[in-house]
Amino acid sequence: MSMKTNLFRMVFACICTSSFACPAARAVDVYVSAAASLGDALKEIGAAYEKTSGDHLVLNFAASSVLARQIEEGAPADLIFSADEAKLDDLEKNGLLAPGTRKSLLSNQLVVIVPADSTLGIASAKDLTYPAVKRIAMGEPSSVPAGIYGRTYLEKLGLWQAIQPKVIPEENVRAALAAVESGDVEAGIVYKTDELIAKGVKLAVEVPLKDGPDISYPVAILKESKQPDAAKKLEDYLESPAAKTVFQKYGFIVKD
Amino acid sequence: MDPETWQIISLTLGVAVLSTVLILPLGVALAWLLARPGWRGKSLVETLVALPLVMPPVATGLILLRLLGRRGPLGYWLEEKMGIEIVFTWRAVVIALAVMSFPLLVRTARVAFQEVNPRLEQIARTLGAGELRVFFTVSLPLAGRGIVAGTLLAFARALGEFGATIMVAGNIPGRTSTIALSIYENVLLGHDSAAFRLLAVSVAMAFAAVWASEFLMRRRAAAP
Amino acid sequence: MKLALKRIQLPLGRWALEMDVELEGQVIAIFGPSGAGKTSTLDLIAGLRKPRTAHIALDGTVLEDTSHGRRLAPQERGIGYVPQDGALFPHLSVMGNLNYGSRRTNGSSLFSTEHVAEVLEITHLLSDGIGSLSGGEKQRVALARALLSQPRLLLLDEPLASLDEKLKSRGLDLLRRIHGEFAIPMLYVSHSREEIAAICDQVICLAEGRVTQRGAPEILA
Repeated sequence: MSMKTNLFRMVFACICTSSFACPAARAVDVYVSAAASLGDALKEIGAAYEKTSGDHLVLNFAASSVLARQIEEGAPADLIFSADEAKLDDLEKNGLLAPGTRKSLLSNQLVVIVPADSTLGIASAKDLTYPAVKRIAMGEPSSVPAGIYGRTYLEKLGLWQAIQPKVIPEENVRAALAAVESGDVEAGIVYKTDELIAKGVKLAVEVPLKDGPDISYPVAILKESKQPDAAKKLEDYLESPAAKTVFQKYGFIVKD
Repeated sequence: MDPETWQIISLTLGVAVLSTVLILPLGVALAWLLARPGWRGKSLVETLVALPLVMPPVATGLILLRLLGRRGPLGYWLEEKMGIEIVFTWRAVVIALAVMSFPLLVRTARVAFQEVNPRLEQIARTLGAGELRVFFTVSLPLAGRGIVAGTLLAFARALGEFGATIMVAGNIPGRTSTIALSIYENVLLGHDSAAFRLLAVSVAMAFAAVWASEFLMRRRAAAP
Repeated sequence: MKLALKRIQLPLGRWALEMDVELEGQVIAIFGPSGAGKTSTLDLIAGLRKPRTAHIALDGTVLEDTSHGRRLAPQERGIGYVPQDGALFPHLSVMGNLNYGSRRTNGSSLFSTEHVAEVLEITHLLSDGIGSLSGGEKQRVALARALLSQPRLLLLDEPLASLDEKLKSRGLDLLRRIHGEFAIPMLYVSHSREEIAAICDQVICLAEGRVTQRGAPEILA
């Protein structure tokens, strides 16, 4: 056999095997609707995932309520990563989630923060009932997840009735943080992840996980996803050690 | 400035320019129509045009999402029959910007047309000019400055649009993340310096556009 | 020219314009105090206002007939209009204004821009903008512009009102010259007896929307 024929066969074989390999390795766009607070973590995880899987992540960051609305109206999402269990309940009720794919991946910790120069000496949630504490910023207690969790915790302690009149409801947790930073309120209830990135505030109370509400960041695959396999692959990756490390880096608590 | 910021700025400018160009023909034509006295349905049209100006932007975004989503009347037809995706793409951004800035163009241009001396249009008719010729050779040139002012105002509005955009286009870095959406995301994540950088750019662009618009409106008042 | 203004009814502010006349002449005047409805009459004839009822005909051509729902648009009436303030297009030069309605002259040099400009003594202004023109110059440009559209009838609303005595007599000479040169019938609105006596052959008097007198200019004396 001549050299030319051998070469030709080799090239032909390469093309054949690579084209068989191609369909599986074809890059896919995976649409992920995620809570804005997960932004930094997911961008980092996403960059790593794109390298290993070859898929391309199309990330959409917004408030959990907006994300749910978009999906209800038929917006193209493959995976949803919410900060609000209630919103996922709604989607599940409307049959929009792929059955059996809903998991609670992350948790967070409630904290009470005060302005950095505060001298009020708040050491427990009960101290929030002091008359000196006139205003407390937190997410809207009926609609913002952090606000709902905060209220649930205070109700459990029997403190909500006393504290509710002092609450300044905010549209999102970052706004609550800003209110504390500026000193316009005496205290604020936010997540540990928020406190980590804040400046001008100091930690007053860290609610122990066993006492606090069961904060959960659920993830699920959408029933109408056009790439359910790619979505599953991504969902699995989010539970991998590599991903867990990143989440923890940003202050999230990884659930087992 | 890093490439990511440049990308956000150029995306924002691109969609704002596109949406402004898109609303020009209909906006100017509608402004001219609304400047003409009493025709049937005029009040209704005027009110409809003003709606995006007075409704909460999120509400407008919700309506657009309903119309353009996969299950919506327009969205279904566009996606299934023509393979064009709107929601979560730059097209949705352009549509959101167009809807939100449309009233500003129409209202400003309408005032400009109203200020054209109707006598001039009448004389043009007696000289044999048909309605189209009257529009292009008399009404439009004389309303010109006001129309440009309205265009700049609409452009500035498009640059800063947030509520409707995030609803119907999502906040997708690299695809639909405009300056306004990026500022929002950066604030939520505590990236204050990035947020302020974008804020500065946003303010500078809006300032320039509105300043130019005001300047033209003042010049217009002085012209005969 | 024969101009029929029959069964005219047009509500104005305080009173209504009501006319039922047939006019015949070359230069016909409409005389009356301000507010009598003179300008409104011109507007009706030019088709710039819609009457409640009217039958308007010029030399047999029906311009408007409300009882039969017929109406010629102003573009189609071939009626030139020189309003009181001239109404020149501010965004066009003098030349631009003149050319706006001018029909391409088919061979005849009578209605060429050069000739009309010469008759109206505005040749030296052709390349100017209109902002620098005096009141009298503006009127002459407006008149030239209307003439260049080769109208069948020329409507003039107080064309000499803003001129002083000396310019007025020059203006009257000019109008006579135009009428002689271009042979276009005119409808001339004025509140000046002297002007009317100088160039008009018929006059109708308007007061509070109605015709009070009509005849030769002598009736005004």
